[in-house]
Amino acid sequence: MSKQMVISVMSKDRPGIIADITTVIFGLGGDLADLNQSVLGGYFTMILIAEFDNTVTPEDLLAGFSHIDSETKIEATIKEMSKSLETEKEKLPLETYIVTAQGENRKGLVKTMGEFFYSRNINVLDLVTTKEKQKYTMIFQVDLSPISSMNTFRQDLQNLADTENMDLVLQHNDIFMATNEIGIQLHTIIEN
Amino acid sequence: MLRSDQIMATVEMVQKENLDVRTVTMGINLLDCRQGSVKATCKSVEDKIEEYAHNFVPKCNEIAMKYGIPVVNKRISVTPAALVGAGFDVNDFVLLAKSLDNAAAKAGIDILGGYTAHVEKGMTRSDKALIASVPRALAETKRLCSSINVGSTQKGINMDAVAMMGDTIKKLAMNTADSGGFGAAKFVVFCNQPGDNPFMAGAIHGVEEADVVLNVGVSGPGVIARSLEKIIKKKGRKNLKLDDIAEEIKQITFRVTRCGELIGRQVSRELDVEFGVVDLSLAPTPKVGDSVGEILQILGVDDVGAPGSTAIVAMLNDAVKKGGIFASKAVGGLSGAFIPVMEDAVLAEAVGKGALSIEKLEAMTCVCSVGLDMVPIPGEVDAATIAAIIADEMAIGMVNNKTTAARLIPVPGKKAGDVVSFGGLFGESPIMEVRNVNKSGRFIAWGGRIPAPIHSFKN
Repeated sequence: MSKQMVISVMSKDRPGIIADITTVIFGLGGDLADLNQSVLGGYFTMILIAEFDNTVTPEDLLAGFSHIDSETKIEATIKEMSKSLETEKEKLPLETYIVTAQGENRKGLVKTMGEFFYSRNINVLDLVTTKEKQKYTMIFQVDLSPISSMNTFRQDLQNLADTENMDLVLQHNDIFMATNEIGIQLHTIIEN
Repeated sequence: MLRSDQIMATVEMVQKENLDVRTVTMGINLLDCRQGSVKATCKSVEDKIEEYAHNFVPKCNEIAMKYGIPVVNKRISVTPAALVGAGFDVNDFVLLAKSLDNAAAKAGIDILGGYTAHVEKGMTRSDKALIASVPRALAETKRLCSSINVGSTQKGINMDAVAMMGDTIKKLAMNTADSGGFGAAKFVVFCNQPGDNPFMAGAIHGVEEADVVLNVGVSGPGVIARSLEKIIKKKGRKNLKLDDIAEEIKQITFRVTRCGELIGRQVSRELDVEFGVVDLSLAPTPKVGDSVGEILQILGVDDVGAPGSTAIVAMLNDAVKKGGIFASKAVGGLSGAFIPVMEDAVLAEAVGKGALSIEKLEAMTCVCSVGLDMVPIPGEVDAATIAAIIADEMAIGMVNNKTTAARLIPVPGKKAGDVVSFGGLFGESPIMEVRNVNKSGRFIAWGGRIPAPIHSFKN
């Protein structure tokens, strides 16, 4: 019998950190499924799903990670899954849009946007933010399925842009796919 | 999710550089509308257009709203009317023109193209009747555009038809004298007219096409101008060569084309209509920042018409085609850079300064995608001179195996340097000087045909 675990790891970034973490997983007979990794402000974070034999415990993994040599202690959170997670690539909802928001950096920008979406029952599928000098840029990938009137939504977005003094732009996700993904044939975007 | 720099680059192109889809044009075959009487034929034409196009404009608007990219023009093109009205006389054709106009109005369309005859080799009685009806048909309708194909690389140039074009344009301008000869702005003479061009005034639904198709015209001179300014500012003029510029144009055209095709295919899917082609043209509008002339200035000529202008248009035309062809599944129409004088504020300005002459414009048309487009000339220029200018332009198309066109507007009562304005997308410009007037009459009087060039015999 086997089981899945979701493992989240954070540490100061350095060459070899992925090799060290995956060596621990490999040593315990783990089989990697999906993995996401990024580096932000010099800190490495990774979230992954792996399958282990039933005898392997989260404590075994934590013990393995504790032996990894690192400038800061490797912080890990591990969750055992009672039922198998779907790791097949999920299709994006049809009404997937990108909202880009840019404004002078100040506290509470992401919160403002998050509340705007939450109050309309809009799920944020992905979010990337960057700060360059004093300009703060947020890119939200959102599912607008709950929106019944695009006209009203665009107007609400414009009102928010005016009150918060931000540039807010709403475009369908397909536009970005079409203009940036050379390998994708347009009919596959439309039919999906 | 895509990389954030890719997303921001696209946002910039769409929002700040005013990317739009210039036209979605529904082509409708009307060959099966010919009935036993003129009245029944006209009704059948109106019914068929209504059947296919009643939901066309709302659907375009809906998709444009969904994607956040405006579809500026929604148009209809039809089978050349000379075929639809085979056997009609002049008055019958005027009735057909009015029916087409009514059908366009009912569909919420501002312009319908296809009041057309193809006479590059010879003219039928119907062709002659249609041509004779043009001055009335366009003066008595609002939305109709007309085009006559008088030449092709395969068949040569029909000089009898060319001579008729001079007279037709003069009469058309006189019939619409109270609007500055505006009727002539809706009439264009072609060599090698494509059957899938979505841009007016020369859009038709060719006989080689399916019953109904949707063609898309992407544009975006403003998008290209802004991106060139940006790359020049970022890298510095000294660090760029013309091949870098051509590459940048290609990249931008790729993105513009993909957006246009995406939207066109969505509309075609929603309407259950076959998707035709993407026409990759840079079509300017009189709006500031939406000019092909401005691109020429950015690339180094202070005024359009200065030496170097033709070379820049050649490079631009080629880069646009290369970027677009890779982006699109099916490319057609005119596909290249347009240089319509009245519709491009920078070109019109160059005319006013005396920098751009008809002769230089003609040279530039050898390497652009269309021809002498929206060229206002003095109203007193005689019909034979107009026909001869058209003959020159047709010869360029015939020999170079490309589409050329002439849309000349002899503005009644105006002379070179006076300004004519049609407003909206038709723009305004000082009247261009025509030199050597009244010197081509003997040539035009020959009639007959200029034979097809030797390189057309490829079979």
